[in-house]
Amino acid sequence: MTSLFTIAWIYLRIGLMFVGGGYVLIPLLNHIMVEQYRWLTLQQFLDGLALSQLTPGPLAMLATFTGFRAGGFPGALIATIFIFLPCVVLMLVVGRNYDRLKKIDIISSTLDGLLPAVVGLVAAAAWNLGVASLTGAKEFLILAVGFALFKWTKVTPMFVILGAGVVGLLLN
Amino acid sequence: MSDSAQRVSLTDIFLAFAMIGLTGFGGGMAIVALVERTCVREKGWITSEEFLHGLAFGQILGPFSLNVCTFTGHHLRGIRGGIIAAIGFILPSFLLVSLLSWIYFTYHKLPQLQAALKGTNPVIIGLIVVVAIDMGRKQIKGGVGVLMALAAFGASVFLKLNAAWILLGAALWSLANSYIRRRLS
Repeated sequence: MTSLFTIAWIYLRIGLMFVGGGYVLIPLLNHIMVEQYRWLTLQQFLDGLALSQLTPGPLAMLATFTGFRAGGFPGALIATIFIFLPCVVLMLVVGRNYDRLKKIDIISSTLDGLLPAVVGLVAAAAWNLGVASLTGAKEFLILAVGFALFKWTKVTPMFVILGAGVVGLLLN
Repeated sequence: MSDSAQRVSLTDIFLAFAMIGLTGFGGGMAIVALVERTCVREKGWITSEEFLHGLAFGQILGPFSLNVCTFTGHHLRGIRGGIIAAIGFILPSFLLVSLLSWIYFTYHKLPQLQAALKGTNPVIIGLIVVVAIDMGRKQIKGGVGVLMALAAFGASVFLKLNAAWILLGAALWSLANSYIRRRLS
């Protein structure tokens, strides 16, 4: 078993690099877990990747899986805390300064000006997810029902999503 | 921190984000859409503009699903609120992955959960589309706004550009715009 201190240090470093952008995470973790420390085989790593994507958390939930392998449940806990620590701290710093900066005219008008781009990116996410998972008539039907429920009723999204999960289990 | 009269309790923040972390299958934008529904629409904890600002920062700074939760929590109750929101959001996924990891390393098999995702994914897309439409109605004003939204969409979908770069580009454009407008007025 690897010491918890080693695990903490490894994941903290990954968390710091991860702040730059989520896409570097997979090759980075692969290099560290599979090639450097040999905690996992490549197949286990890929299974872990699939498993992490089953959950609502970010892709970095892979840290929980690999940490579990390296040090059991405590290892999973330590790995998860330390990989997310840098970005949570950074976001708290951003939040603190945001309240101050928002009061400066030119900054708030710049921020408001880029909002359409944010909306465009939200729509792009729907498109990319759709290309990957709308594979047949069944899926389009579920999409239409979901869209109608969210658009015209006040039902809590959680129920719709859980209900859709049950439908998915029954249909497949 | 919010200057509104009512103070949201840390328990409420924790429960709201734990619920999001429990049901937001699809990750990423699914979470963003859920946080928007819950915190902007249902509870009125944060305005649509502030939320989108947080999303812009969050996309530039790594895992944006977690970042919007931290940002919203901080907006409500400062540092403690941000930490509670982040923990609440990650905890259900953490417990789920720990359980699945245990099953995997004990029995060397993955449970058949992928079938459930075949049902949730289309619904998630529906939710994201609805949120994008609602946001667009409120935030996109005039031809320039429409063009910027389309440009960001195209840059992401067709050019596969990183969201952080797209937003930095939009920020520079917007900064130049507000600078020129100031000069003229």
